[in-house]
Amino acid sequence: MSSSESQNLMKGSSAFSVKSIVNNAGIGLALLLLILFFSVASEFFLSPNNITNILTQITINLILAVGMTFVILIGGIDLSVGSVMAFAAVIAGKAITLPGLGTTELILLAILAGLVAGLICGLVNGVISAYWALPSFIITLGMLNIARGAALQVSGAQTIYSFPFAFEEFGSKMVFGIPFVFLLALALVAIAWFVLNRTVFGRLIYAIGNNEEAVRLAGHPVFWYKVAAFTICGATAGIAAIVYMARLSIASPIAGIGFELNAIAAVIIGGTSLAGGRGSVIGTLLGAFIIGVLANGLILIGLSDFMRQMITGVVIIIAVILDHYRAKLSSS
Amino acid sequence: MAQAALTSPSDDLLLDVQDLRKSFGGVHALSGVSFSLKAGEVHALVGENGAGKSTLIKVLSGVHPYDAGSIELSGEAFEPSDPHFAKEAGIQVVHQEFNLLTDLSVAENISIEAFPKTRFGLLDRAAMKRRARSALDAIGLNDVDVKTPVSRLGIAHRQLVEIARALQSESRILILDEPTATLTERETSRLFEIVAGIKAKGVTVVFVSHHLDEVFAICDRVTIFRNGQTIATENIADTSPEGVVRHMVGRTLSEQTKELNDAICDSIVLSVEGLQTAASPHPQGVSFDLRQGEILGIAGLVGAGRTEVLRAIFGADPIQSGQISRNGNRISISDPRDAIAAGIGFVTEDRKDEGLILDMDIAANTSLVSIKDVSVKGLLSFAKERLMAIQGGARLKLKYGKASDPASSLSGGNQQKVVLAKWLASHPEILLLDEPTRGVDVGAKAEIYAILKDLAAQGMSMIVVSSELPELITLTDRLLVMSEHKVQGSLMPEDYQQEAILKLAYGQSETPEGQNQ
Repeated sequence: MSSSESQNLMKGSSAFSVKSIVNNAGIGLALLLLILFFSVASEFFLSPNNITNILTQITINLILAVGMTFVILIGGIDLSVGSVMAFAAVIAGKAITLPGLGTTELILLAILAGLVAGLICGLVNGVISAYWALPSFIITLGMLNIARGAALQVSGAQTIYSFPFAFEEFGSKMVFGIPFVFLLALALVAIAWFVLNRTVFGRLIYAIGNNEEAVRLAGHPVFWYKVAAFTICGATAGIAAIVYMARLSIASPIAGIGFELNAIAAVIIGGTSLAGGRGSVIGTLLGAFIIGVLANGLILIGLSDFMRQMITGVVIIIAVILDHYRAKLSSS
Repeated sequence: MAQAALTSPSDDLLLDVQDLRKSFGGVHALSGVSFSLKAGEVHALVGENGAGKSTLIKVLSGVHPYDAGSIELSGEAFEPSDPHFAKEAGIQVVHQEFNLLTDLSVAENISIEAFPKTRFGLLDRAAMKRRARSALDAIGLNDVDVKTPVSRLGIAHRQLVEIARALQSESRILILDEPTATLTERETSRLFEIVAGIKAKGVTVVFVSHHLDEVFAICDRVTIFRNGQTIATENIADTSPEGVVRHMVGRTLSEQTKELNDAICDSIVLSVEGLQTAASPHPQGVSFDLRQGEILGIAGLVGAGRTEVLRAIFGADPIQSGQISRNGNRISISDPRDAIAAGIGFVTEDRKDEGLILDMDIAANTSLVSIKDVSVKGLLSFAKERLMAIQGGARLKLKYGKASDPASSLSGGNQQKVVLAKWLASHPEILLLDEPTRGVDVGAKAEIYAILKDLAAQGMSMIVVSSELPELITLTDRLLVMSEHKVQGSLMPEDYQQEAILKLAYGQSETPEGQNQ
């Protein structure tokens, strides 16, 4: 193969990401306009303190939304992530307050326990909805209740607190003025992007969302790919639980109520199709930013939290309408 | 059953359709349909799936507007704007898939379009029941209680309730879309009695069916559809099932001599014995051998079980009983993965639902089966993938812009080539093809035939299912004809004659008693 030919081949390979950049341009522009508007409307908006605030506020939603992106890409949905996060937090909280262990062991144990708790919930969601081909909406609605009940049961409806100092420190740690936990979320976005765009696994996640039967007839184990998507989503709920505990220094069984809806909103605003098969985790990142910037900015310019909620709702609906036209455009 | 044909219809034209045309996007669903209904006749519409019967019904019943042509109802121009308008004009349709609300009672279903109301605007249950009773009695359905929920009725009774609902209002034309598809023989004869009764009352009946014996049992005339056009209208008394089939199939088969494929070896690469699936339950099962380099054709009517055989061999549907051997060794196939591992590929009938991922690019579609060959440890190599697509495209003379264009940007023939490229990339030894050139233009068809013959010459074995006899005749080295889920006969190229194939397809050589009465 001549070098020019191989260069050509490389050029072709990047077409996918060029397309995704174009797809994300609209959302990016919307975010930019929002930032512009709020920085003019409020002098505090662009202050370093407020930026840190925004980044901290969107971290948990971003982590949950990354996992949610996988599930929505295969055409599913996971309503349980908020409850699963609370359940994982309670399990991790129990682990980290065990007597008679060293600080490092306790922290590692807690992280592992939270991750595994989330992962198992996701696995159960995936196995049940994929094996019986049931709507994940219903299965994860069931899991929403199971995980919440389990969180309350395990904790005796009590908030768990008094964690090791080193653990709480990780929640408030700053790196060059940026919250460490946000960088962690950003790293998850990067990993998810790599998996979705550069691996066989990611390719088949998109393919299943587009045409499951074609993927099955091509000899791929569709069942396990679906289970994997839900398991990833559960695992991110576990990670979110750890971050939540480290930031607030508590593990509450009533944490995360309604978080699933924010995560879904971030994915949808980010341009991922609810029907599956189309979208990107970069879009999800921008979607989480739009929700976070709106929440922060609207309060800064003096609107009530109720107004903020209404406006966020309007944005979700607009995003879906825009997506409808984008889908039409790309298919014509 | 024959009494229906006795009362002779008048010669008044009730409905006259001339050169009707209708396209969906670029697809011409109707490209010149002309037919007429005489008042009081039972008129059959026959033709292959996709020939245009359903579209015509949808146009007549106001679901779709038509693009060009004319429809006259009782001598006046008729342009139904919506289903309600068509109903008002007296055209009632009983659809193939039921439109009943299964949790409601028979009476409620019959009155669903216009519930009777009392003076106070409340539901008049008594009137509703009376109306339902008389509607059921009108078609002789005295044994059904109007309070029964529809969910407790059998399929046949549901169908009859639909007919009763359609007939309660003044109807002049009753269209029955494949009413017997799910009925048993006894239920069918009951339906035919009712149709005869309806006809006796002066209602014109349009009867859509795949079963020619039924058409010949109850219809006065038959109109044959092919590729969106009406080919002929004939009096049942003046024609025969063979004549109708000839019109359905089209083109008298060219007498060209076939060059024999001398690449066929004696070694049997695939052997199927007593294959049975849930969808294809004939007790005898399906058995045949496939030799290396051979193109084996499977002919038969739609619904004869041809696709089911391919799907079972490929593991797309579970096998109930029977054995499959590869090169003499018994193998078990429970999933497409097993079939692919055994060197089998499957070009499916339906490109859009089963073959392609339309939104994804050509390269991604090409590599879907052999994605391991363009990746290292789960990481995709886009360069390798593109190379695979370019090489596969060149081999099949694929016309495309860039390998990164979505598959949806290609024409039907080129989409089919991408599906073919996808399977060829996995280097199969056996390729199963289901309607390999459906929706493909003539030029691309010839190209695909040449490619397949070339592959066979190189030693690949193929099984081709097709509804186009000319396709099977040009392509295959041997032909199995299926009828009612069993192999009715096997023909060698020197015996490829339309009459012989159709006779077998209609199951006539083995069971002369048939169902014709």
